[in-house]
Amino acid sequence: MRADDGQPGLYLHIPFCSAVCPYCDFSVLRAGVPARKRFVEHLVAEVPLAAREWSDPRPFDTVYFGGGTPSLLPAGDLARVLGACREHLALPAAPWIFLEANPEDVTPDTCAAWRDLGVRTLSLGVQSFSDDALRFLGRRHDAKQARTAVETAQAAGFDTVSVDLIFGLPGHTEEAWRRELATAVALSPGHLSCYQLTIHPRTRFGVSAARGRLSELPEDEQATLFDLTHRFLADAGWPAYEVSNFARSRDHESRHNRKYWDHTPYLGLGPSAHSLATAQAGAPAARRWWNELRTPRWESRVAAGERPIEGEESLGPLALATEALMLGLRTTAGIDLDGFAARYGLDLLAANGALVARLAAEGHLVVSHGPGGHPRLVPTLSGLAVADGLAALFDLPLPP
Amino acid sequence: MDHIRNFCIIAHIDHGKSTLADRLIQRCGAVEAREFRDQILDSMDLERERGITIKANTVSLPYTAKDGRTYELNLIDTPGHVDFSHEVRRSLMSCEGALLVVDASQGVEAQTVANLYLAMEFGLEVVPVINKIDLPSADVDRVMEEIDRDLGLDPFASIQVSAKLGTGIDELLEAIVQHLPPPKGDPKAPLRALLFDAQYDAYRGAVLQVRLFDGALREGTRVRFMHSGQEHKVEEVGYQRLKHVPAPELVAGEVGYVLAGVKGLSGLAIGDTLTEAERPAAEPVPGYREAKPVVFSSIYPMATDDYEDLTKALEKLKLNDASLIYEKDSSAALGFGFRCGFLGLLHLDVVQERLEREYDLSLILSAPSVRYRIVMNDDSEVWIDNPTFYPDPAQIKEAYEPYIKATIMTPERYLGTVMELCRERRGVETTFSYLSAGRMDVVSQLPLAEVLFDFYDRLKSITQGYGSFDYELLDYRLGDMVKVDILVNGEKVDALSQLVHREFSRPRALRYCERLAKTIPRQQFKIAIQGAIGGQIIARTTINPFRKDVTAKCYGGDISRKRKLLEKQKEGKKKMKMVGAVEIPQEAFVSVLRTEDEDEG
Repeated sequence: MRADDGQPGLYLHIPFCSAVCPYCDFSVLRAGVPARKRFVEHLVAEVPLAAREWSDPRPFDTVYFGGGTPSLLPAGDLARVLGACREHLALPAAPWIFLEANPEDVTPDTCAAWRDLGVRTLSLGVQSFSDDALRFLGRRHDAKQARTAVETAQAAGFDTVSVDLIFGLPGHTEEAWRRELATAVALSPGHLSCYQLTIHPRTRFGVSAARGRLSELPEDEQATLFDLTHRFLADAGWPAYEVSNFARSRDHESRHNRKYWDHTPYLGLGPSAHSLATAQAGAPAARRWWNELRTPRWESRVAAGERPIEGEESLGPLALATEALMLGLRTTAGIDLDGFAARYGLDLLAANGALVARLAAEGHLVVSHGPGGHPRLVPTLSGLAVADGLAALFDLPLPP
Repeated sequence: MDHIRNFCIIAHIDHGKSTLADRLIQRCGAVEAREFRDQILDSMDLERERGITIKANTVSLPYTAKDGRTYELNLIDTPGHVDFSHEVRRSLMSCEGALLVVDASQGVEAQTVANLYLAMEFGLEVVPVINKIDLPSADVDRVMEEIDRDLGLDPFASIQVSAKLGTGIDELLEAIVQHLPPPKGDPKAPLRALLFDAQYDAYRGAVLQVRLFDGALREGTRVRFMHSGQEHKVEEVGYQRLKHVPAPELVAGEVGYVLAGVKGLSGLAIGDTLTEAERPAAEPVPGYREAKPVVFSSIYPMATDDYEDLTKALEKLKLNDASLIYEKDSSAALGFGFRCGFLGLLHLDVVQERLEREYDLSLILSAPSVRYRIVMNDDSEVWIDNPTFYPDPAQIKEAYEPYIKATIMTPERYLGTVMELCRERRGVETTFSYLSAGRMDVVSQLPLAEVLFDFYDRLKSITQGYGSFDYELLDYRLGDMVKVDILVNGEKVDALSQLVHREFSRPRALRYCERLAKTIPRQQFKIAIQGAIGGQIIARTTINPFRKDVTAKCYGGDISRKRKLLEKQKEGKKKMKMVGAVEIPQEAFVSVLRTEDEDEG
């Protein structure tokens, strides 16, 4: 289950946006340049606070600038943060750096600056190649800017350019979505993330939904678009490796995000960032903690020289196995059953034989034998679409 | 004996019977103001809340009248529902007079008439009481007209009161003394005491409420129950004020309590006659009928862990409710429970509510059933009240079901719909007659089974609450019953099997299927819900599986929340029952087994 080398990942949350999108439930805010400067100082200050407690000796092999909109910060600020990380944490000379950027921030100059920082994956918040959809989503760029941004990024020579898209907007037809996918594919990014629009309660869309003015697509239509997305992209050469993630080749898969899905440790800095530390040897146990959600509170705690942790939990074998099952069923690689048994001490198949047979008959799962004869529990496309429900069906007879 | 008045208060629901009783008790000084709490006679919370009296209570009130004499007023409370008509009759039998309460704004209603007829059947002297005259909407003149026209009583003999404010209570007490006759009886004759009620007291055992018709009862008297044959030695007799007040003896005409070392109520038959073992009376008080359960249902705890608690609760309840019978039962879907017999649907309701409230249990009840008489091919006979034990139809020669004579009173304008309801419910020999202008009396012979299934609610709704309903068991008649099973993904849900008339099997099965389809959450599999008679499928619905439930985003900050959601979901699943690898939530059983019918209403 562990990533190949199991090296930890570093996540840095930059909460600023030039405008807060009506669907977004991340920890974000709008703020002027002075506030952004102040934030950078605090982020730099959090690094040594966190480093003191981070006992995993292995070097971080990925760094992810997420948000928010990290591309709003000048490259120099990002460099300062990286510098602090290099100073206090085991950061090798050239980790794989990911940067989320808004299309309107992408120019040959900014791209060059990010390349100089060591950014290897540029993840673009394109969301749509339709002007109408972009307006509905409250984005500041238009379709033309989106296309230009992808082309500019491609030309700048990043290892991977990733494009984020949202589907399932009210009235979204198969035809309209297929056109957008075709546009995306024509631009040939290394990586695509296609997210079904989710309406979260504490967002502007959530408020509209509560008033009955907006709703997610009916389940059947969601399923149809989900199916279309996966089939279209697989046929075009971007097979899925996770529910919402597609890559032109394995090299383009997100080696940072994969850590979230297989219990590789990660350290998150900045407001709302989550961290996971696993037991060094033997026992299947881990600890997860998360920072203050709101930036002002996070800042004031960092300013006071405290670690800005809002909460934490320790994960026993059952919690870990539950997560591994839930997350594994979201990936097209599925669950390595021997690895699962070795790591969590449970023969998943033995404990759920009848269920697996039934789900296989239903066409949701297959038990496949990959190279070396290792059995894997692999969700089919229809299984992937109901992965959350599938996970709830399994019996995990483990101590809590 | 002429200082005694035995009377009851009869009224339509909500016309203020209990409040009036409270006021009489207060005025006679039987209770200190500080001890007073509203509706003293309705001792159960449930009674106070529903405004109906379920278990009759009795109180003796000393009253000094204007003529200077002190009278003993025995107020015998009566249960207010047809299920307990048995007890109502016993109570009325103990009285010489009745106060018929009519709401000053509502006027004479269906039950008022039914109550009057019942009182007249027992030869009671009736004093009409117009209550709630303090209400702004009170219309005393109209109500007096109705008393004259609809009840045939002298409106000028009526007493106007406001039980709430205490207005007119003195006049009423005088009327009780002047207009209601004293009891008759021979104190020297052999003892005849009617057992009209009994309560269970944790310390004293059964407290018997009796009305003496002849003879006398005192400590040491050896009494015999004329119907059950049991004999007991009397330990104490006395008057039932708000507390027990021991007395040296009770004599003919009096009402009081008896302690005789009777442990529980289960061996007692209300309506039995106590006589002296040494010098027995020739005949018991007439009109005795055994209270037999006619409605059966299985009770299961929602949480299987609560089975022990349910067992204890039923044992305790039984001490207080002789008419409740039960035995162990079990279901593959719902686990261990009890098969219970009830006097009627309200009795079932009351037992369920008491178990849930007083014992804090959450319950699932199977569909109520009547008891069928089955004649097998070899001419042997079996009685079946539980669908689980219904024999193989191939072995059945004939099946008989109980019929009732239903008496329905309704305003004339609803006659058509009431007749239609009777027809729908397989009623035969339905006749009607005029009671008084605009008021009809419909009599129909109905299968009891059809009355169990939301009949009363339907009657209430089609007559906008004016219809009243009473019934008595008639006989057993040949019927065409089938056992309808409900299958989930091909597997029988035993708790949902029921015996239904063939004519209604398809709609009933379909309704069950549809209700299940509404309440069983969609799952990752297609779920087929079928209704079947034996191997023949007669109804079918399908719950389509989820096609998409997966959330789009799952990164570092989402995982804990997502896992907790999953854990909660799994916790919820533990409370579901598994049938055919399908998880069925308890609510699905509750919704299917609900008798009232919101789909049609």
